[in-house]
Amino acid sequence: MRHAQSYITSAVRVFDLSLGQMLWSRRSIFMALVVGAPVLIALAVRVVVGLAGNLQMGGGHVTGPAIFGGIIWGIYLRFAVPILAVFYGTGLLADEVEDRTITYLFSRPIPRGAVMLGKYLAYLACTVMVVLPSVMLVFLLIIPVGGGRIAAAFPDLVTDLALLALGLAVYGAVFALVGAWFKRPLVVGLLFLFAWEPVILVVPGYLKRLTVMYYLQALVPHAMPQDGAISFLQSLFRDVPSLPVALGALALILVGFLALATRVVERREYVLEQ
Amino acid sequence: MTQKTRYFMFASAAVLVGGLCTGLVAYYSGFGTTMFRQTSGPAELAYVPADAAVVAYANVHDVMTSELRRRLQEVMPPDEEKGREEFKSHTGIDLETDIDYVVASMTPRPGDQGRGEMGFVAFRGRFDEVRLEGLAREHGATVEDYRGKRLIRITKAAEATEHSGAARVPVLTFVEPGLAMFGDEAAVRHAIDTRADGRSVLDNGELMTLVTDVERGANAWAVGRFDLLAAQANLPEGVASRIPPIKWFAARGSVNGGVAGTFRAEANDEEAARNLRDVINGFMALARLQAGSQPELQGMLQTMTLGGSGRTVELSFAIPSEVIDALSAMSKGAHKAP
Repeated sequence: MRHAQSYITSAVRVFDLSLGQMLWSRRSIFMALVVGAPVLIALAVRVVVGLAGNLQMGGGHVTGPAIFGGIIWGIYLRFAVPILAVFYGTGLLADEVEDRTITYLFSRPIPRGAVMLGKYLAYLACTVMVVLPSVMLVFLLIIPVGGGRIAAAFPDLVTDLALLALGLAVYGAVFALVGAWFKRPLVVGLLFLFAWEPVILVVPGYLKRLTVMYYLQALVPHAMPQDGAISFLQSLFRDVPSLPVALGALALILVGFLALATRVVERREYVLEQ
Repeated sequence: MTQKTRYFMFASAAVLVGGLCTGLVAYYSGFGTTMFRQTSGPAELAYVPADAAVVAYANVHDVMTSELRRRLQEVMPPDEEKGREEFKSHTGIDLETDIDYVVASMTPRPGDQGRGEMGFVAFRGRFDEVRLEGLAREHGATVEDYRGKRLIRITKAAEATEHSGAARVPVLTFVEPGLAMFGDEAAVRHAIDTRADGRSVLDNGELMTLVTDVERGANAWAVGRFDLLAAQANLPEGVASRIPPIKWFAARGSVNGGVAGTFRAEANDEEAARNLRDVINGFMALARLQAGSQPELQGMLQTMTLGGSGRTVELSFAIPSEVIDALSAMSKGAHKAP
């Protein structure tokens, strides 16, 4: 009991120290661009609608909820969440190793696993507190376009916020393990994101269950964007897990990968290059 | 944690909490059943019973004066104009100018366990009531008084079709000056009762929410219970079992130079909606792949957008004026060919 208390206290101290470091690092400029772009797009849409009266795309009348759904799929879920997770998650320990400051952390009287846990929590707080307000601003700007109603779209917004937070948590845990395990974690992480997941998702069979996106997509309340061949292939080999299965699998990935990451950190000997 | 970090976290939480509170307030105040009473739909909805399965509206005047109709008239055979003139000389109604809009309703027939339906169409416009009644009488119609309204039975009751034990007699009545109602006798009587009792579809919060959503900027719209319609359509077992469980549907269209429309369905649960979206998405992607060599079709398919979230599935489309021109040209060619 006392050991657990000390473990948590240590993790909270590392969290406190790491949060400021992460928030005001150079990576934050990249994060600001990633989450700021949709807000600017939403603002531009509002200006266009304000000037033109309504928004037409390809001759058709487009409503705010449809645009918001497209932004959630195309920008947040498929790009912002995985890319922020890979950049921050793989760097949780790798940055300390690269900067040769890991010695200072590991020489303190705190469990190594608590260092990983504290840093992971700092990553989660940092990304969640940047991504979710961005989604909120986009929602408030976009939904009223073309006759959309905030009241009707609100339940889906709550789902979206929970879904994106869960996505950041799960992808973060996966890339925390990658960062703790591999020597070139960013390359491995990017390969996982841009080679493994997109290809496996359109291949028929059971392999898609070895991706995070397969389970996350099952929770999205909006229609999937129609991007031609990809939509066709995905609908052809349609296999959407049920809500309990998706939530269960994501929880399992989150806990499993985070536990593995802390275990790797506790056992691994990090050799600093001269 | 530094002061700067603390400020940032506070600002971020404030945006999040502020937005959520705004949404929450909108959600709880935006779904009241009474707030749409005075604002949504045409006044004739006061005649539509609260348990209506389908309510539809079409602005005839807008459609008649639209650019689309002008273009279609150019390719239509001249007989259509003759028919319109003939109708006018008989009834005194010029379809082009005398009807402003129509409201139609379909309601499950009471005591028919949802298998039968009854309906009426209300026409708002300018009518010569005496002339129309006289014309009906000439063709054997009988007149009966019901709650101060003159019900003109178009067919004799003895000749009416028997359906589930209830006679289907078409009647015409003028429920208000400038408002003609035509439909099943039972439906028209029920509509008059509904108006008198003051308990109409305007009290049906779910349906009126749909009406509020579809009526903005539309020349025509229809909303209703998809499950009731499907149950009454007598679909083959194989087809009926494959239709995803959809509860509500809402369709809206606007006509001017071209036609733009949206069809929205509300499934019973999110899984059914997701399945439906996937199926439509697949069909659309397949159609786009196959329409590569046909620019007109390609242009029309490009305007089709699948949307919706949660339990809703929304399909929008637009037929631009260029496509209509191309179809008109093809039709003209077909007329000239022989």
